[in-house]
Amino acid sequence: MKEILKNIIQLISYRESAGPEDFILEENLFDKKAVESNQGGSGEPPIFAEKEGADSVNEGRDEGSSQSKGRVRSRRRKKGESSGEEPEQQSNGGDQVHGSLEQNRNRIDQIYGLPVNKDLIVRSFTMGTSPPTGGFAIFIDGLADRTTVNLLLQNLMVHTRMYCNNEGSPASYIMKNLLPGSQIRTLDSFKKIADSVNYGDTAFFFQGSAQAIVVETKGWERRAVSRPNVEQTISGPQESFVENLRVNTGLVRKIIRSEKLFTELFQIGARFPSDVAVMYLKDLANPQLVEEVKRRISSITVDYVNDIGILEQFIEDDPYSMNSQTLSTERPDRVAALLAEGKVAILLGGSPFALVVPVTMYSQMHTGEEVYLRWQYGTFLRYIRTISFYLALLLPGSYLAVVLYHQEMVPTELLLFIAGNREKVPFPTLVEMLLMEFSFELVREAGLRIPGIIGSTIGIVGALILGQTAVQANIVSPILVILVAVTGLASFSIPSYSLAFAVRIYRFFYIIMGSVLGFFGISIVLYVQILLTTNLKSFGVPYLSPTGPRTHSGPDIVFRLPIFMHRRRPDYLNPQDDIRMSQNPRGWVEEGNGGEKQG
Amino acid sequence: MRSRVSFGMAEAVVLLTMSSMARIFLPFPRYLVELSGPAAWLSSVAGLFLALLQVYLFYIILKPYPGENIMDITERTLGKVAGAALNIYYGFFFITIAAGFTRIFSEALLVSALPRTPISVVATSFMLIAVMGAYLGLETMARSTRLTYPFVLGGIVVLLFGLLPRWEISNLFPILGSGPVNVFIKGGFNAAIVTEIFLAAVIVQSFKGQEVFGKITSRAMLMSFGYLIILEMVFIMTINWNSAQESTLPFYQLSRLIYFGRFFQRVESIFIIIWSFIGMIKISLTLYASAFVLAHAFRLPDHRPLVLPLAVIIYSLSFLPPDLPSSLELERIIRMHGVLPSIILPVLVLVLDRFRRRGSKNEAS
Repeated sequence: MKEILKNIIQLISYRESAGPEDFILEENLFDKKAVESNQGGSGEPPIFAEKEGADSVNEGRDEGSSQSKGRVRSRRRKKGESSGEEPEQQSNGGDQVHGSLEQNRNRIDQIYGLPVNKDLIVRSFTMGTSPPTGGFAIFIDGLADRTTVNLLLQNLMVHTRMYCNNEGSPASYIMKNLLPGSQIRTLDSFKKIADSVNYGDTAFFFQGSAQAIVVETKGWERRAVSRPNVEQTISGPQESFVENLRVNTGLVRKIIRSEKLFTELFQIGARFPSDVAVMYLKDLANPQLVEEVKRRISSITVDYVNDIGILEQFIEDDPYSMNSQTLSTERPDRVAALLAEGKVAILLGGSPFALVVPVTMYSQMHTGEEVYLRWQYGTFLRYIRTISFYLALLLPGSYLAVVLYHQEMVPTELLLFIAGNREKVPFPTLVEMLLMEFSFELVREAGLRIPGIIGSTIGIVGALILGQTAVQANIVSPILVILVAVTGLASFSIPSYSLAFAVRIYRFFYIIMGSVLGFFGISIVLYVQILLTTNLKSFGVPYLSPTGPRTHSGPDIVFRLPIFMHRRRPDYLNPQDDIRMSQNPRGWVEEGNGGEKQG
Repeated sequence: MRSRVSFGMAEAVVLLTMSSMARIFLPFPRYLVELSGPAAWLSSVAGLFLALLQVYLFYIILKPYPGENIMDITERTLGKVAGAALNIYYGFFFITIAAGFTRIFSEALLVSALPRTPISVVATSFMLIAVMGAYLGLETMARSTRLTYPFVLGGIVVLLFGLLPRWEISNLFPILGSGPVNVFIKGGFNAAIVTEIFLAAVIVQSFKGQEVFGKITSRAMLMSFGYLIILEMVFIMTINWNSAQESTLPFYQLSRLIYFGRFFQRVESIFIIIWSFIGMIKISLTLYASAFVLAHAFRLPDHRPLVLPLAVIIYSLSFLPPDLPSSLELERIIRMHGVLPSIILPVLVLVLDRFRRRGSKNEAS
C-alpha cells in the first residue's frame, strides 16, 4: 500500500531531470573545429572552401590557380598522377611506405581508424623464407573476393620458396615469382594504396620493403546482366547495363569489336571518387566533341557523384531548360548504334544507365527498336509516337480553349452533350481539369512508390475507380476523364523519360493559358516553347537538328526510309567519316534496273 | 556579336516570307479590293514586280561592300553624323511599324476570337513574346519560324482549297477591275511597300554572304506575294468583290466559310493559332529590327539592352489610335510613308555612293 502511494506521489510530483538534455545536433560545431584545425595545423581541412576566390571560378580549367590557394584543393586525379603531397598528411606520419612493417601497420591503423572501423581486415602472416619474412595483407570485407585473397595468402604462406636476395627489391621479387594475379602493381604511397583497397583490391606489406604490392581482387556482390527494365523492346537484343562499370564497357565492346573504340577513364568526386568512362570511336567521332565531353567531365569539382543523373546535371549545356540535353539509355545495343553514328557515350561506375551526347529531340523520340523492324513498321510506330507527343502536350489545353472560348468549333450534338454533362458539375472547367490531371499524376506517382506487383494494380484500379466514381458523383464530366486518360496514355508512349517529364510539365502551362486566352493562349505557349527549344543546344549541336536549323537530315527523323538508304551519318554531328555504306549496299541488286535481281 | 549570328538560306527565306505575309491576315487584302475591284490580284502581281525591282535596288547598293549592311553603307555615304541620323530615322520607322502591327493584330484577335478580353491583355502578351524573341535573337527566331512554316503552309492550303466548292471564276471579271491606273500604279505601289526588303538589307550580315541577298530576298518576295495573289483571287472568287469590300478581316471571313460536312465546320479558331503565330513573328522581328538598327546607330555592341525600353515605347504607341478604323487609317499612312525608307532614301544613298566612288576613282587615276 505504501509502495503504491509512493509510486503515485512520484508520478504526480515534479522532479528535475537528472540526466542530460535530449540529444541536440549542435550547429557550427564542425565549422568551428574546421577553422581551429586550420589554424592549429592538425586534422583535415574542408575539401572545398565556403567562399572561393574570384579566380577559382575557372578552377576546372586552370589547375594552377586552385593549387596556389591553401584551402581550395583540386582533387582531380588521373591515373598515374601523383596526388599525395598534401601537407596535412605528412604531418600525420607521411604518405610513403616504410621499410618497417611495424610503422606501416601503425599508419594503416591510423588511416582506417582501426580497431574502431571494422570493415578493413588486416591479416598478418610469415613467409617461409630464410630468414622468415613477416608481412600483412589488408583488404575490405565484402569488397574483395575471399577466394582470391585466400589463394594469394596460400601462395605466400605455403608455397614460398627460398628467398633469393639477388633479384632486386623483395616486393618486385614477390610480385614476379610468388603472387599470382592478373592485375598487380607495386605502390609506395599510402594514399594510392588506400584508394585501391577502397575499390576492392588487396594490399600486401612485407618486412624490409618500402613498397606495397596491390593485387586486383575486386569481388563484391553484383547483379547479373538482365533484360532491360525501362526500355523494353520486342525485337532486338535483350541485355541491359548493370551497376558495374567494366561489365558495361564490356557489353558495348562486345558489340563494337574494334580497336578504334576508345574508353577513357576519369575519376570525379573529391571525397569519394567514382569512375567515369568516356567511350567513342576514335576514327569517327568529331575530336572537338570528344574533347569537349572530356573537358566538361574533368572540370567537375564536387565531393561525390552518385549516379549518372547527377553527372548529367553537371555537364548539360542549359540546366534551366525543361528539356534534357542528353540521352539516357540502359541498352548496350543502342549505345553501340549511337557510337557508330559518331556520338560519345558516358558511363559511370554504379549506374546502370549510359548517357549519350549530343542528342536531338528527334533521337529522344526514337527507341532504337524501329531500326530492327522493317521500315514501314518503324515509320508507323514513330508517327504514332509523334501524334501522341502532340496529344500529350496539347489535348487538355485545347479542350479547355474550345469549351471556354471557341464553342462554335464543336458540332452541335457534341456541344450539347458536353454542356449537358458540364451542367451537373459544380466546378469551373479549369478546376475540373486540374483536379483530374492532379489525380492522374497522383495515381502515377503512387503506382511507382507502392512496392512490387500491387503498385501497378493499384494504379489501374485507382484510376478506374477514381474516374468512375468522380463521374458518378458529378465532380467531373465523363468526357474529361476520357481526355485525361488519353493524355496520360499518350505521355507514356514518349520513349525518353526526361522528355516525357518535360511534356508533363509543359502541359500545365497549356492548360492554364488555354483557359485564360483560348487558342491565342495555346499559341503563346507553343511559340515560347518553340523559341526556347530552338535556342537549346546539346554539346554544341542544336537540339532540334536537323529541322531547326535545316541540315542534311538523312532519312531517319520521323519518317524512316528503308535501311539501305541510310547512306550518311547525321550531318549535325560532323563525324570524321559521314558515309555509312556503299553506293549500292545491297550488292546483289544491280543498280539502275529498278531493283531487279541480278543474274 | 552581329557577325556571329548566321543561319541558312531556307531559314532566311522563310523568316522574311512569314514576316511579310503577316498583312494577308489583316485588313490589307480588303484595301486592295477597294482600290482595284476584282483586279486586286493583278495589283499584287504588279506589286511583286515593283518589289523585285526594290530587291535589285538594294542588291546593287550592297554589292560593292561585302560584309556591310545598309546602315554601314548609309554612314559611309552620308558621313557619320547624317548617316547616323538617317539610321535613327530607320529605327523609328521600325518602331512605328511594330506599334501599328501590335495594335492591328490585337484588334483582329479581339474581333475574331476573344471578344470580351481587354485589348491590353492581348497586346501585352504580344509584347512579352516579342521581347523574348528579340532577346533570344535572330537565329532562334529564324529557326523557329522555319520549324512552324509547314504548319502555317498546311493551314493556308487547307483554308484556300477548303473553299473550292464556293469558287466562282466569273467574280474575277472584269479582268482589269477599276482601270489600269488604279490597278497597276496605285494598287501596285500599295502592295509593293514591304519593310522586309529593307529589313533583309539590315540583317544581311546574318546571311551567308552578300551575294545570296538577292536570292534570299527575291525568293521571299515571290513566296509572300504568291500567297497574297492567291488569297486575293480566292477572296474575290469566294465572295464577290462588292461584298468583299465590307469585310474587315478577309482571312477570318474566309475561314468561317469552310464547311467539310457536319463535323468539320467553323474551324476559324484553328486559324487563330496560325494567325497569332504570324503576328508574334512579325512583331518580334520588327522589335528586333528597331533595337538592332538603333543599337547600330548609337554604336552599341549589343541590341538587347534596348529591347525592353523599345517594347514599352511600342506598346504605348500602339494605343494612341482611339479605335480600329483610325488605327487602320494610320497604318495606311505609315505604309505610304514607307516609300521613303524603302525606295527614295535608298535611291539617294545609291546615287551619292556612286558619285562618291566615281569621284574617288577619278582622284586615284
